[in-house]
Amino acid sequence: MIDIVGIIADDFLNILMITFGGVLISLGVHLVPVGGAPAAMAQATGVGTGTVQLAAGAGLTGLVTAGFMMNATDSMGLVVASGTVGAMIMIAVTMLVGQWLYVYGVGCPPASAKVKYDPITKDRQDLYVSQGTEGHGIPTASFISGVIGAGLGGLGGSMIYFYLLSIENGLPEADFIGIASIFAIGLFFVNAVIPSYNIGGTIEGFHDPKFKRFPKAVFASLVATFLAAIMGVVAIGGM
Amino acid sequence: MEPLTSMGVLALMGAAATIAGASEDLESDVGSQSNPNSQVQLAPQMMYPHRIYNKAVSGEPPSNALMCAIGGTTASVLMTTGASPILALIIGSIVAAAVHGTYSVTSYFGRSASQKRFKQPIYLDLIRSHTPVIMGYAFITTFCILVVSYLMVAVMAHPFSLPLLAFIWGIAVGAIGSSTGDVHYGAEREFQNVEFGSGLNAANSGNIVRKAESGLRNGIDNSWFCAKFGGPATGIAFGMVVFLSGWITVVFDPSISEVMGWESIIAGVAMVLLMVMWNRKIEVDARNAFGPYKSDEEEVAA
Repeated sequence: MIDIVGIIADDFLNILMITFGGVLISLGVHLVPVGGAPAAMAQATGVGTGTVQLAAGAGLTGLVTAGFMMNATDSMGLVVASGTVGAMIMIAVTMLVGQWLYVYGVGCPPASAKVKYDPITKDRQDLYVSQGTEGHGIPTASFISGVIGAGLGGLGGSMIYFYLLSIENGLPEADFIGIASIFAIGLFFVNAVIPSYNIGGTIEGFHDPKFKRFPKAVFASLVATFLAAIMGVVAIGGM
Repeated sequence: MEPLTSMGVLALMGAAATIAGASEDLESDVGSQSNPNSQVQLAPQMMYPHRIYNKAVSGEPPSNALMCAIGGTTASVLMTTGASPILALIIGSIVAAAVHGTYSVTSYFGRSASQKRFKQPIYLDLIRSHTPVIMGYAFITTFCILVVSYLMVAVMAHPFSLPLLAFIWGIAVGAIGSSTGDVHYGAEREFQNVEFGSGLNAANSGNIVRKAESGLRNGIDNSWFCAKFGGPATGIAFGMVVFLSGWITVVFDPSISEVMGWESIIAGVAMVLLMVMWNRKIEVDARNAFGPYKSDEEEVAA
């Protein structure tokens, strides 16, 4: 019989940190500039794919680098930092190459339709938006927002992974790593899906009015991740 | 491990990832998958029936993750029975390509049949000509991803298992393909009937180009066009992700000392900053080269 209360009491710090990781992912997803299907037709600012897919792609790349780092060192700071950097590299490369496509392949300058001036470079935006579209490409504000967002996602994902691996149990190491990584991926998807209801297909980054809705999604993520973390900790700790 | 050996392995991984990225994008162009497929799906409803393969098994990341996870699992099981890794990876990729081909055919039939009321025909010759191409690209993508994942597990001693790494890289290659190469297909190739660089007015939705250089346009015509820019660009993007994210820990090996680990983080951040600056340069150059679409009304009024 598994001592559920005992496991929860012993690993309560792990549960809290896993929940915090989920909250970071949820906040990070709001910052990633996703344009969804319209952006693939250069009809909206941002990267031309779905919220969950892009955030998951970046965050999971971070998880791979974090897993590699965790094999080499026990330092929590290094593991989460490498997860953050891995996700940032993935999103920066994706946005940069996406920008090549918009500029050299489609012939549209990057422009935001949500703000008149780019909040970082102060460049005029509205004049560069082509007729009948909601902007195109990735302006500097969106790029930097995306890098920060993916960094938060990678940070959250690697924190979840690190604290799942801190749970004491009797599993062989390979099985333990397998279960912890699958669970980290699962929690990543949960927290990438919840903000996508807020985003509703497209968001340009921190300067988008939709970004102001983030507290609701962050709260929902807090609740969902907390419950999932309890289940995960009990399942892994009971093995 | 010897730094020189790990650099060689990393270079091989980067090369395999570049091929995987390019073939992933071209696979999605032949079969028309992911976001640009919304236009192919919409066209018959706007009274533009077409001869383009319409599959869209799912979004690209899940469909590639499925393919790679199937391939990785099959290869992994085969390797535990004592099969050689090369044979195991090839058989795994064949199984994945077969599964993907099955999904492609069923989704083409399903999607086209559901548009009967819009007079969208089902072309049987399209299935015979396109499905092997789709499966071929799927095989190349899966095999290259499996090579990357296998090298990570067997040589770089990554703690994740082969199927899990294949799954993660499948998600990543799909996310990258759908955010980079697909733009070339969705925003340029499908809408070559509007002036280059004029932007795509939402009112044009569904009015995709249906005539080819010769005859009616099909998916293979689209991959021919996208192979000139969208496919290779996707390959470079995925190759860069795999190479750069590994390069920082190979050059600054965290297993030597913790300080080296922090140096690898600094190197990664420096790379990201360089890319921010590069992006800014492209933005400024594009604005100067193309100019605004409309004049400033405030200035005109003054």
